[in-house]
Amino acid sequence: MQIDPFEALADPTRRRIVEALREGERPVGDLVDVAGIHQSGVSRHLRILQESGFVAMRPDGQRRLYSLRPEPFLQLDDWLAHYRKTWESRLDRFGDALQRKRKAPCKE
Amino acid sequence: MQRVTDMQKVTVERTYQARLGELWDLWTTKDGFESWWAPEGFRVEVHRLEGQMGGALHYTMIADSAEMVAAMTQMGRPTSTESRGTFTQFQPQTRLALTHHIDFVPGVPPYDSTMAVEFFPSGSRVRMVVTLDPMHDEQMTRMAEMGLNSQLGKLDRRFAS
Repeated sequence: MQIDPFEALADPTRRRIVEALREGERPVGDLVDVAGIHQSGVSRHLRILQESGFVAMRPDGQRRLYSLRPEPFLQLDDWLAHYRKTWESRLDRFGDALQRKRKAPCKE
Repeated sequence: MQRVTDMQKVTVERTYQARLGELWDLWTTKDGFESWWAPEGFRVEVHRLEGQMGGALHYTMIADSAEMVAAMTQMGRPTSTESRGTFTQFQPQTRLALTHHIDFVPGVPPYDSTMAVEFFPSGSRVRMVVTLDPMHDEQMTRMAEMGLNSQLGKLDRRFAS
């Protein structure tokens, strides 16, 4: 099942993992230290981040190395741009309402 | 790239040539709120707005253009939706926070969404700063519910190709 990008980042532990991966590819052991939870928990969060497209994994001998993929972040940027535009429009309407109010005769 | 933790907050601001009280009233009175809150194609009917700390806000968002009514019907969505909120901060003409109770999304447990508004007067102008959390925002959730997620679907297909 495709997980919504916002849902994927809604969890603070997953955000800590993503923040850590911004510095580059890392093995799961490093991420356990950053996340502050047991490795099984980190693995579960990594699986969710993989399923939502945020994280890629490649084997390196005995290790598994995790890294960020750019695509979901582009999606989030697009989504946030749309969201911001919605609010910019709302504040435009706020300004229009203010103008109308100023032009209306004073009730006092 | 934006910090992940920063992605949770979006700040939108405007500076208006107006008196502080005029801006404040648009947030905290029935007539004021109704005059601007609804997006294009909608109107808002405020049933209750208590402009005070802990005060209640209760309104219905109603599709009022033929195009929007048709669009909502086509998406299988109701043409009007009730919303309820509370003023969780209320420092007159300085700062307010409005918390919406999001309980209209099928399959999603109810949660609270808070926006903060601050006012900074300077001479005859007032800067208004609205801080939002898109991850838990009513508008965002409503957009998602209305199917704008299809935009992400298009992106998925673009990246998949």
